[in-house]
Amino acid sequence: MSLPKRIIKETERLVNDPAPGISAVPHDDNLRYFDVAITGPEGSPFEGGIFKLELFLPEEYPMSPPKVRFLTKIYHPNIDKLGRICLDILKEKWSPALQIRTVLLSVQALLSSPNPDDPLATDVAKHYKEDEKGAQNVSREWTRQYAS
Amino acid sequence: MARVPRNFRLLEELEKGEKGIGDGSCSYGLEDSDDILMSHWNGTIIGPGHTVHENRIYSLKIYCGDSYPDRPPTIAFLSRVNLPFVQVDGKVDPNKLSVLANWSRNSSIETILVEIRREMASFNNRKLPQPPEGSVY
Repeated sequence: MSLPKRIIKETERLVNDPAPGISAVPHDDNLRYFDVAITGPEGSPFEGGIFKLELFLPEEYPMSPPKVRFLTKIYHPNIDKLGRICLDILKEKWSPALQIRTVLLSVQALLSSPNPDDPLATDVAKHYKEDEKGAQNVSREWTRQYAS
Repeated sequence: MARVPRNFRLLEELEKGEKGIGDGSCSYGLEDSDDILMSHWNGTIIGPGHTVHENRIYSLKIYCGDSYPDRPPTIAFLSRVNLPFVQVDGKVDPNKLSVLANWSRNSSIETILVEIRREMASFNNRKLPQPPEGSVY
């Protein structure tokens, strides 16, 4: 099974020159499937946590976006109970000019700036809107419990 | 072709199942909505018309192991039923249902439920005597 040159180049760069706080390693038996780890950004309720994700490049990549999902439980208004992420560049704002690296940096940025106005986990978003401090405390507690 | 890994494949199936498939005579979903590994599923089959199964609602349990979809899931009826490929404890015998016996990556939870329903309506099975409606294993 031949892998497009673009994916090979992106993978080399991810491995040899990783973005700070982000690692992505392809599976030996499926080079389109990556184990990802993102460290919780400093100053966010996710600080100190290491979050596991999985990423898959579909056949149509880069014309279609990568598929990304959290495997670590996380209390965040834009991430649901199954780890699915609500992020515009993973959907309608995807452009083939974006890369795996930019996607993962955007996911990391989403941890720093939750967006309760565009929620996926509606109960968490409601909590974030009505009592941000309280909600952040739950996020911190979950980070301690599940991400470290 | 890119080989879709288990979890992303199951996410696709979940999304399809949530939207509802076909005419609604078969449906499925996660048993527990925060089962991050998506292993345990519920299925429902509405018995095909003009058979002994007409108007009956059959519940099934589906288990997708680590090697799904390279290996088929295991299927068991919760509702009692009399069919040649269902064992006395409700488990579907994978050797007796062709979608499981000849499993391919292109098959899915949906194709299994649809085939089971088709089997209910087959010439040999449509008139088999059935346990009382609503009884469970």
